[in-house]
Amino acid sequence: MRKIISMLLTVLLAVGALAQTKTKTVKGVVYEEETGQTLPGATVSVVGSTRGVIADLDGAFEISGVKSSDELKVEFFGKEPQTIKVGDGTNFLVKLKNQATELEGAVTVAFGKQRKESLIGSVTAIDVATLKVPSSNLTTALAGNVAGVIAYQRTGEPGQDNADFFVRGITTFGANTSPLILIDNIELTSTDLARLQPDDIESFSIMKDATATALYGARGANGVIYVTTKRGQEGPAKIFARVETSISQPTRMVELADPVTYMKAYNEGISTRDPLAELQYSFDKIEQTGKPGANRLIYPANDWYDMLFKNFATAYRANISARGGGKVARYYVTGSFTEDTGILKVDKRNSFNNNIDQKTYTLRSNVDINVTKTTQLAVRLTGNFTDYTGPLNGGNDVFKQVVHSDPVLFPAYYPVDDEHIGIQHIMFGNYDDGSYTNPYANLVKGYRDTQRSQMIAAVELNQDLSFITPGLKFMTLFNLTRLSYYEVNRQFSPYWYTLDSYDSYTGEYHVKRINDDGTDYLQYSEKDKTITNTMYSESRLNYAREFGKHEVTGLLVLTAREQLNANAGSLQLSLPSRNAGLSGRFTYGWDKRYFAEFNFGYNGSERFHKSHRWGFFPSFGGAWVISNEPWFKKVKDKYVHNLKLRASYGLVGNDNIGNARNRFYYLSEMNMNSTNLQATFGEFRGVTYKGIDVVRYANEAITWETSYKANYAIELGLFKKLDVIAEFFTEHRKDIFMSRADIPETMGLQAGISANIGEAKAHGIDIQADYKHVINQDMWASARANFTYSRSKYLVYEEPEYPESYRQHAGYSLKQTWGYIAERLFIDDEEAANSPSQASFGVQYGGGDIKYTDVNGDGVITEADRVPIGLPTSPEIIYGFGTSFGWKGLDFSVFFQGLANESFWIDATADYSSSKVGTAPFVHNTQLLKAYYDSHWSEDNRDVYALWPRFSSAYENKNNSAVSTWWMRDGSFLRLKQLEVGYTLPYKWTKKLRMENLRVYFQGNNLLCWSRFDLWDPELAGEGLNYPIQRTFNIGLHVTFK
Amino acid sequence: MKKIYTAIMIGLTALLSGISCNKFLDVVPNDGLATIDMAFNLRSTAIRYLATCYAYMPNDGVPASDYGMLTGDEMWDLVGRIVSNTSARVSNNLFQIARGFQSASNVYGNDWASMYEGIRCCDILVENIDRVPDMTEQEKKQWKAEVTFLKAYYHFNLVRKWGPVPIIRESLPMDSDVETVRVYRDNIDDCFDFIMELLDKAYPDLPITNLSTDEYGRITQPICAALKARVAVYAASPLFNGNEEEATLTDNQGRQLFPSKTPEQKLARWTAAVEICKKAIDVCDEANIKLYDGSTIDYRLVDTLKRTLTIRKAFNERWNSELIWGNTQTASSLTSIFQQLCMPNMTDYTHSLGGYRFIGVPLKIVDQFYTRNGLPTENDTEWTTINPMELKDGTEDHAYYLKKGYTTVRLNFNREPRFYASLGFDGGTWLGMMTKYNDVLAEDMNYIECRIGGKQGKTGSENGPVTGYFPKKLFPLECTMTGNNSFTSYWFPWPMIRLTDLYLLYCEAINEAEGPNGAHSADLYKYLDAIRARAGIPDIKTSWDQFSNNPGYYNSQPGMREIIHRERQNELVFESQRYWDIRRWKTAPSEYLKNIYGFTITGSAPEDYYVRQLITTQRFGLKDYFWPISTYYLERNPNLVQNIGW
Repeated sequence: MRKIISMLLTVLLAVGALAQTKTKTVKGVVYEEETGQTLPGATVSVVGSTRGVIADLDGAFEISGVKSSDELKVEFFGKEPQTIKVGDGTNFLVKLKNQATELEGAVTVAFGKQRKESLIGSVTAIDVATLKVPSSNLTTALAGNVAGVIAYQRTGEPGQDNADFFVRGITTFGANTSPLILIDNIELTSTDLARLQPDDIESFSIMKDATATALYGARGANGVIYVTTKRGQEGPAKIFARVETSISQPTRMVELADPVTYMKAYNEGISTRDPLAELQYSFDKIEQTGKPGANRLIYPANDWYDMLFKNFATAYRANISARGGGKVARYYVTGSFTEDTGILKVDKRNSFNNNIDQKTYTLRSNVDINVTKTTQLAVRLTGNFTDYTGPLNGGNDVFKQVVHSDPVLFPAYYPVDDEHIGIQHIMFGNYDDGSYTNPYANLVKGYRDTQRSQMIAAVELNQDLSFITPGLKFMTLFNLTRLSYYEVNRQFSPYWYTLDSYDSYTGEYHVKRINDDGTDYLQYSEKDKTITNTMYSESRLNYAREFGKHEVTGLLVLTAREQLNANAGSLQLSLPSRNAGLSGRFTYGWDKRYFAEFNFGYNGSERFHKSHRWGFFPSFGGAWVISNEPWFKKVKDKYVHNLKLRASYGLVGNDNIGNARNRFYYLSEMNMNSTNLQATFGEFRGVTYKGIDVVRYANEAITWETSYKANYAIELGLFKKLDVIAEFFTEHRKDIFMSRADIPETMGLQAGISANIGEAKAHGIDIQADYKHVINQDMWASARANFTYSRSKYLVYEEPEYPESYRQHAGYSLKQTWGYIAERLFIDDEEAANSPSQASFGVQYGGGDIKYTDVNGDGVITEADRVPIGLPTSPEIIYGFGTSFGWKGLDFSVFFQGLANESFWIDATADYSSSKVGTAPFVHNTQLLKAYYDSHWSEDNRDVYALWPRFSSAYENKNNSAVSTWWMRDGSFLRLKQLEVGYTLPYKWTKKLRMENLRVYFQGNNLLCWSRFDLWDPELAGEGLNYPIQRTFNIGLHVTFK
Repeated sequence: MKKIYTAIMIGLTALLSGISCNKFLDVVPNDGLATIDMAFNLRSTAIRYLATCYAYMPNDGVPASDYGMLTGDEMWDLVGRIVSNTSARVSNNLFQIARGFQSASNVYGNDWASMYEGIRCCDILVENIDRVPDMTEQEKKQWKAEVTFLKAYYHFNLVRKWGPVPIIRESLPMDSDVETVRVYRDNIDDCFDFIMELLDKAYPDLPITNLSTDEYGRITQPICAALKARVAVYAASPLFNGNEEEATLTDNQGRQLFPSKTPEQKLARWTAAVEICKKAIDVCDEANIKLYDGSTIDYRLVDTLKRTLTIRKAFNERWNSELIWGNTQTASSLTSIFQQLCMPNMTDYTHSLGGYRFIGVPLKIVDQFYTRNGLPTENDTEWTTINPMELKDGTEDHAYYLKKGYTTVRLNFNREPRFYASLGFDGGTWLGMMTKYNDVLAEDMNYIECRIGGKQGKTGSENGPVTGYFPKKLFPLECTMTGNNSFTSYWFPWPMIRLTDLYLLYCEAINEAEGPNGAHSADLYKYLDAIRARAGIPDIKTSWDQFSNNPGYYNSQPGMREIIHRERQNELVFESQRYWDIRRWKTAPSEYLKNIYGFTITGSAPEDYYVRQLITTQRFGLKDYFWPISTYYLERNPNLVQNIGW
């Protein structure tokens, strides 16, 4: 194709040449100035004519019919164009420099780009390469890679493994703490961010302070993550392809006690609490189970972990994109596919796959068209599709079930014996009435299918208005997003079997069926279905012009957004969510030394009453580039290539202040058909009237919370090698929505009253440092590090006036935990009886149970003795550092990441729900953690500092499971997050394969971890029995064709 | 040209994105959303508001929400026996109170807030009902009267638990300032007077009986009068009436919440109660409420069985003739679960979940029943030489009560019919789950074997029995188990007040006001003996004079008091009254001293099984007379003071 075009051009040129006299043919090669590499695809044109050629694969060009008086213009996307006079020359070496304003020097800011030099707001632009981790989830790459982001991951389940991330930490105790996520101007969710392919990303910025976010008005208070995808480039088509295969395994599995120990400990738990009580497991059963070679159908000893989980899972990722275009139209088209699987086993007897298998397909097409010389039209179409099959209730649930299943009551299944020949189903084991959890059966009995499809269509029109006045531009965009999701379960109802009789002499046994309501066929049930439609439109008027030393820019933006939700669930939720606003930015710069900026957002949200609907959020800032001062020149040339100070202050809002159910705070919400408050009458209870319930009382005064942000930063560049940006910020969040605490119950209100009364404060530092050093032509090294610290505290939190000052929230971190101070375990019952009463936990307690400090000295342990304990549950410090170096085609990099100032609590309860899983052994047949057995209080070993208190079987000992310092652990860790070795084939080889670039690489993720906690991966914090975080080994290939 | 084109573009976009922004944000349709006012636009919605007022009634009759059922010492849960709660089959919250785990920071059975919500709803209905266009004045009055009654009842619930509480004469407006909403507790006499005042206000506009069977459960005049009788007797009882032990309970204004009283003032409460009770009985007469006499039993049964069935049905037959107030609010499903929880397994399936036998009866309640002569075992001369724990085989004359030839103990012989009607026990017969009832023979009857190996014996750690005695009275004849895991329950309105209860309140008031031989002595004996006659035991005088070791005991006021108390305990056993009664009489300390005993359910031979075993030691202190107010509430309203001892 390309050949045909160049042939045509040559023909055209030849025709042109005939018409000219005294013409000649000139040759040349176009190079990149910085690297010396050739630039294939550069265009060479004769100024003032329509003639031109395109440089070939080696960057060479040849153009005929050129007069000596002609000038040649050499252009390449992203490079400074160069004009050369032909003169007498016939052979030219053209070196093109990188275009400073377009790529390196520009930073994406709200509704536009700014030169790095003139930037006042706090915006971290991330090198997209650092986000290329061997994971199909982009959010897992944020921790430690981005200064100003606090991020951590609490589960490793494919598809559910989004990291939690917060810009500059959590600074409000209102409902919404997540940043605003914009991908190509479209407001999307963290799941969409997670599914984004790093290869498709053009820029990734985090906007942190008020000047950077004020334009987003009532939506920007929690910071903004702004991503743009790649756009077409003028030039011949380039094709990028990347293929990766990885295997992953849990970083750490929780160790459980073996079945025999489990039974002994269970019995100990019974007899230690009540010596007369009947034991759960007979001595015979324990003895027989422990015997090697015992019949495991009669004496089951299940290692559920082994039975349900494989050692590793696999994943594949492929991504291919094409980029190119001409003067009129440019395109970027990409398609990608990822497949992640889980570590769950599949029963071969079933024809379906119950393991997690998530396939994600992305198609993206960004096309820019020059409609006229001054009008550009951009069309973007994106489709993102996720097909998931997996266990019925998700992977975390399988892990939870395993921990909550008796290992010795029954085998996972019985083999088909003579008595049962001919049955079509698996003979799953169970006990008694069949109500016990058989995790194996629950895993293999069925599967869940979910599909998530998201289609985005966007049109963008850019109009250069310089004919009205130079520097004026107009842009308008309109986009539609449709997200649909559904979920379907298909499953058998298992038939349960149990041991009916067993003759210990002959070894004969019989198995009987417990239930008759099983099925041999799959049954079907429909689950969630959602459809969300979003429409967004935006118009910008942009002005930028330099008048000598004065640089002026102005921007006005009008936005409107509407979101509609099908199957919303209630009338109020079904109404459209709308948001509209006008924002503006005005900047002034003088002599590239002094900069000032004013921003505002004027926003309205449909959630609030008319009188409180519109909010004005101004911000301003200034910067001083010391390194551009004339008197600094000497220093600049030698040592400090950049020194800049900047500061900003302003207001930003957050209108997402309560849960979705409470959208219209200014309206009351009634349930006119309440079943909670219904009454029934009649001879046979035949007449029921539903009740009328107030779900929410109207409050017209409710409005958004406002953040007052200040930011101070210093940028320092040394020796043209090291760049450091250090920022300090403070934030004061006012009008936080919270429930009132001073309305006594005697008022008889059916719903709580809330108001904008809370206040919180935060401050912190983020630092990033980059070091680059090219040692010689073959060798380079670089290093980077970043550090984020954010500490928050309550300022105003309405609560009762407690007599104990430590119970007030004010002054403590927003993620502070209140709990009891555990001294140690009681030595014996006598000590327990003579200590302050702990009866408020509602259980009998004695020796070996946790002894708490009576902080207020009233002789009883109650809620009032709960003091602030430990560090916040969300880390205050996130950091990362790494280094890379290369030698010829080889490159090597290593990256460490850590977090600190975080406490977490081992969940010592017996809770067992979708969101929680407690570790208390025996209750609900919960397994015993080996570590608990190895260190527990027993009557023979009265270790008052044992890990686990005295066993209590079959019921949760609330005395011991309360949140206290006993279960508090240090959450900090440092891990070897990534190690990468790559090899790029020499160009001379790849050239023959028509490749511009070919790199193979190996990556390892989460390889090592240092922490004071060793029961499970510390990043899981209190949720250690979840699907574990994965260690990944990845092999990849990256090719660029041209 | 170009300029015009651009101008049009800009104009269009501005229109698209900015069309009158305020309108764009008006997403809520005007007047389209429900408000509280709309509840009173029509009778059909107003009746839902009436239902809302009723909805706050506690679900009496099931252990998870009946505050008098598992909270004391009348029934005991398996949980308290085997230190386990592997199963969520019964909500343990209220049972925690019986086990001594009540605390101010975590108040079990805390319905303080919901009672006040109910009170506010009642006020809202009274305020707004006149606006409803399609209702008659008469009906509006009746509804107002019903919710006025409910407001009184909700206050009474609060007083019964917490003693003096803030009374809500009128609900405060939403915009009241903080100081106004921080109310104080009113003193106990004001509380009772206010409740009775409300009941008086409600009474005239209530119907004498429900107009149709669809209205069963709605408030009538007999209900109102009977509740007033109960409230009046409570107000006069030692716990609430000038209780010196509570004299130190004062609020932060220095006001005494239990004002001191002279003996005359105390007596005045009793004298008033006599008249109030009498009036209630009269209203019941007028409404044709009378003692249930078994006349609805269609089966041909021997007298013994007919007698015990009559006693059971007086309690658990739907809308029987002596029911004054039946609670229709408790869902049938809850009743079903409860019946299943207590029911002994009657099938051949040893692991059947048909009957969990989760709830049993402590031996002190078993002991409390009279002998066949209508006397306490300790007073019956027939019993003075008997060792109740001596093993004895079932005899011919007891064949309808006890399996003939089955070994049990003397404790189960020669007891009053209410004993056999109310309790199931090892060897005892169980009238129910039979293919035919007419002319049933003793040997065809179901009976219980709850020693190890027996059908109702212990089979695993999850199932009972608890003490060896089952609360048979709670099971209507229609409760059946047909196979493994299948259970058919029978819903009946939980009797909040029935006629015998009212009679006993009257008798108690008479004796306290004037002694056994005062002006109302004829009524005293009349009503007591009526209850005894239905129970199949001799009248007071015959019993005590002919069979007791203490003839004429009824002639003294304390003697009569004891007789009335015991009669009440036996007649209203398992009806969630004991918990409140022993408190208001202030006899709880001695009752709790008896502790919780049961038989040795792990025994299989009679000699192993019939050994009394201590299940739990109970304690009772001054603080246990009242519930703690949640510390959380006290922190929100510093004007509330905590009850003594919490």
